[in-house]
Amino acid sequence: MTLRKTPLAAAGLAALLVLSACSGGDQNAAAGGPITVEATDSACTVSATTANAGNVTFEVTNKGTKVTEFYLYAEGDRIMGEVENIAPGLTRKLTVEVPDAGAYQTACKPGMTGDGIRGAFTVTGGAARQADANTKLGDATKSYATYVASQSDALLTETRKFADAVKSGNVDDAKARYAPTRVYYERIEPVAEKFGDLDPAIDVREADLEEGQQFTGFHRLEKDLWVTGLQDDTAQVADKLVADVTTLVTQAKAIQLTPLDLANGAKELLDEVATGKITGEEEIFSHTDLWDFQANLDGSEAAIQALRPVLAERDPQLVSEVDAQFKNVQTLLDAQRAGDGFKYYTELSQDQIREFASAVDALSEPLSRTAEVVAQ
Amino acid sequence: MLFSSLLIGLREGLEAALVVSILVAFLVKTGRRSALRWVWPGIAAAVILSIGVGAILTFTTAQLSFEQQELLGGSLSIVAVGFVTAMIFWMRKASKSIAAELRGKMDEALAVGPLAVLLLSFLAVGREGLETAVFFYAAVQTAQGGTTQPLIGFAVGIAIAVAIAYGLYRGAIRFDLGKFFTITGVLLVFVAAGVLGYGLHDLQEAGFLPGLHTLAFDASAAIPETSWYGALLKGVFNYSQQTTVLQAIAWIAYVVIVLPLFLRRPADRTTPVVAGSKE
Repeated sequence: MTLRKTPLAAAGLAALLVLSACSGGDQNAAAGGPITVEATDSACTVSATTANAGNVTFEVTNKGTKVTEFYLYAEGDRIMGEVENIAPGLTRKLTVEVPDAGAYQTACKPGMTGDGIRGAFTVTGGAARQADANTKLGDATKSYATYVASQSDALLTETRKFADAVKSGNVDDAKARYAPTRVYYERIEPVAEKFGDLDPAIDVREADLEEGQQFTGFHRLEKDLWVTGLQDDTAQVADKLVADVTTLVTQAKAIQLTPLDLANGAKELLDEVATGKITGEEEIFSHTDLWDFQANLDGSEAAIQALRPVLAERDPQLVSEVDAQFKNVQTLLDAQRAGDGFKYYTELSQDQIREFASAVDALSEPLSRTAEVVAQ
Repeated sequence: MLFSSLLIGLREGLEAALVVSILVAFLVKTGRRSALRWVWPGIAAAVILSIGVGAILTFTTAQLSFEQQELLGGSLSIVAVGFVTAMIFWMRKASKSIAAELRGKMDEALAVGPLAVLLLSFLAVGREGLETAVFFYAAVQTAQGGTTQPLIGFAVGIAIAVAIAYGLYRGAIRFDLGKFFTITGVLLVFVAAGVLGYGLHDLQEAGFLPGLHTLAFDASAAIPETSWYGALLKGVFNYSQQTTVLQAIAWIAYVVIVLPLFLRRPADRTTPVVAGSKE
């Protein structure tokens, strides 16, 4: 965290000195010096709750008995700055560069755990921005590409393990791995769909098979595991799945996405939920649809998170709407958790399914507007 | 008040002292005391630079932006992982060449060179140094205005960390080389995995990597970092009470890849020669 593990190498030090030299100068426009923060074990008293855009300095004194940390969050819990390891009795300074006006939150975290004791903090005016909108869009795709890379690596690893379990004939283990493995696929499915026949080969449902198309991929193994039992060619299908996923992962890492791809992908994932998961069609044999549901939602949220700085600048109202609806769907999903995973689709009541459907629709609507905002 | 500062000092000091003590023990055991003269300048340089930069950051209004700090911290943690990993395998290779030495053939042992020894000790200490320095200054400033307790606690914590590392060094010196090599190597694999996870977490906090709020587990109730055992775990293995999925995956991936590589044949091969009588 902030300075906690900051290692020093010669190069790093040089960079540090250069950076500190050129970003120096306290332009805290909230006249009268730093904003003082008094942190105790149960309170977080901030001397001012507004500041002008620019560099804002907080001076945090820990008057409690536990080690504490102090954060300034932007919307969506994006960390603007933090200082940690403030031992009882100590005072530490934090200077944060806040270029944009908007609603922020301060937080003290006694014991350095949890969400902390939050307080609203408003920044007004505007300061010279270090990055223009195009850089922000560039950052968005970069940060989402990293997400895709991390998810696809995990996908490959988990798929190999799943395939091994299938091939070793260990049906129980394979069944247990099935839904958690698919999570990585479902999170980045819009990316997968960009590669022609890979998505069908990996993820086709039996009901959607076209004339002459082979039934391969996850759902074929799902059927073998849950319904028909292992077949003569099950091992072959498992091998093909690993091969297809390997190809996908290589291609997914090389793909150049545009900001519009992100916005549309976020929406597509929600459509996936509406057409497959809420109807229980996706996991017709295993009934693990809610795992996929959560994964689609995660993936959608990741794309929106990457776009957040741009969206927040152009249409803050839309961002808060999207946030609220994400939260709403998540709350409904959380209610259906069981152990490490979720209840099976067959355990849901008609009312619960209807509730999901309308929450997803409500999220879908503002999400569909994000592409337009990005394209501006 | 005193105790929590003590834990911070212990935690900050432990990791650096651990890596350095293993490095020193290795050099001493393999009869390369001459390379020790490269360890101390590395440590000294790290300490001096940490104190200098800590002073600049504390006493001037100069500031790094949060992202700059995290990007710097995160990437250099990952550089440090590279160095510790190199050290593990260097030790493996060097301990193998000791066998050759016993047969009368002189070593190619310092193949990595004095500069690497210097850089490694520099990184091990420097990684912890800046935060420690900033904390130290904050404690000194507070002491001028009243209480000296945080300062005392902090100093005692660092002293305990050094004492633990020294104890480890004494213990390690007594093992035969095969055993020493296996035990410390395994320990270092876990240390490096922790540093890797922490570095990634820094990058997540800076927003360079996603998934900051996707937690693999939250053990802040069971093993809080502010407890003595949490501080110990954090100092040694970079344990994090709230571990993100990315951190967990990286940690597991590192251990799963490096540990088997490390434990493979060469360790077994050297043991009989050094320990003498196992075959």
